[in-house]
Amino acid sequence: MTMTPSAQAVVSGAALTPFDRRKDGTGFRDWSRDAFNAALVMSTLEPQDLDAIIVASESDFFSLQLNPASILATDLGLTGCAAMRCEGGGASGQVAVHAAVDAIASGRMRHVLVIGVDPSASSLSGDAMRGLYGHSFDTWSDGLTGVTSTALYALSYKAFAVEFGTTEEDLATVTIQNRANALQNPNAHLKRADTADQISQSPLVASPYRKLHCSPLSDGAAALILSHVNAAPAARKHAPRIAGIGAATDHMHIGARAKPGNFSAKTSAMLRATRMAGITPDDVGLAEVYDAYAGAQLQALQALGLSDNAAKDMQAGVFSPTGTCPTNLSGGLMGQGAPVGATGVGQTATCALLLEGRYHEKLQTQTIPRYALADTHGGLCTNANVTILSQGPGA
Amino acid sequence: MIQHDLHLRYNLAPGWLEPYVQGLQNGDAIASSCTNCSHTAFPPQLTCGCGASERRWVKLDGYADIIHKTEGPDGSFALVRFKGADTATVVRLEDLPIQDLHGQITKSANQLPQLVLGPLPAKAPL
Repeated sequence: MTMTPSAQAVVSGAALTPFDRRKDGTGFRDWSRDAFNAALVMSTLEPQDLDAIIVASESDFFSLQLNPASILATDLGLTGCAAMRCEGGGASGQVAVHAAVDAIASGRMRHVLVIGVDPSASSLSGDAMRGLYGHSFDTWSDGLTGVTSTALYALSYKAFAVEFGTTEEDLATVTIQNRANALQNPNAHLKRADTADQISQSPLVASPYRKLHCSPLSDGAAALILSHVNAAPAARKHAPRIAGIGAATDHMHIGARAKPGNFSAKTSAMLRATRMAGITPDDVGLAEVYDAYAGAQLQALQALGLSDNAAKDMQAGVFSPTGTCPTNLSGGLMGQGAPVGATGVGQTATCALLLEGRYHEKLQTQTIPRYALADTHGGLCTNANVTILSQGPGA
Repeated sequence: MIQHDLHLRYNLAPGWLEPYVQGLQNGDAIASSCTNCSHTAFPPQLTCGCGASERRWVKLDGYADIIHKTEGPDGSFALVRFKGADTATVVRLEDLPIQDLHGQITKSANQLPQLVLGPLPAKAPL
């Protein structure tokens, strides 16, 4: 197997804690330690081998801890290494992954730890979180007006539905599939066998979105240890590589976009990542995409070029566990959950574990594809970040 | 679990957005119009899509057409286009009959600079 010239970052370690609403008295520092310890064991590295810790956390409002990277460096016994925190709204985790890849590709770092973490469920009330999330958009227009995240996503999805003719049945298909996958994921937040009737009768949040079309607020952490290909531990020489990364932004106001229903930044980010990896979207054999809402998954699949008709291909099973491009096997944000900073790191870790054949037994694909895609965005796809992983040489 | 309250009072400076913010507080739609290409944006833009950053402020008449609408327990919101603007924007709908597809910018009751769309003013009897 030939390796993409740009694939200089090896996934030495990858781990996720359960994503859920913690009621056991633990906090984000505990979850970060748990994810770190598991990733470190997988990597066969020692703490002193790590050159940097990069922490993804969306907001100090959630943890009431500014400067979390320095705190976690101390907690994890990494005092002395470089530390930084990355933030890009919902994309924070993938922004941090990209920062780690760049640090390694520059040759300045050999091994970089990425921790994604947020206490999105247990720290604040749902109302407080909803109010804060309104400021993920433009405070001076959407935030102070009190526009909710769900309402903005609903308006964007309505524009998408008009263009592509998607229906309530299509939203149900996404919801049922992602939650069914979550049922097989022991670390998932919402393990539910939803039916179309249950979905259509769940409480209205912002039409057409009902409660079961939405991802939950979750607590949790994920960790990745990326190593330069020339410094990878002997036991990890065949581990998956980061083959391509791409990022792009869209206009902050959906009303200023040419097509408010299209996630155009995702298209640009995917083009950059596939060019770097030397592949096309057709080469992607499994994906974790950013399904903050059921419709957002359809919008993502379309924008990423994984389908010419996302709803039709969802119905046809293309993205099912037995399809040609299994998508959100973890359950996605809708099923596995969404501790914001951990989301992008967790998606990338999930792709790496799947490519290695080390994922949860009932979800591990029998045929392992060569390429996997992790897709994350912040805002209303205002900040899009995608990462393409490939199997390691000789894997 | 430790319960801890944190009360924050922000003093937010609108900066270059001042004319727009003042307009919302008065119930007016104040847009930016690019001095280079005349593109009119509401909400305003610091840098136009053409790359120019000089603008003049224009007062729209406040009439808007609804493009898409969403309803729920947190309120009704819509993507609308104000007459005279080249961009659309998201607004909160207040007291707007569900079948209405047009509305008028309305001053917020809580003194905040909010994008609120209400019913069109009743026509004066002939």
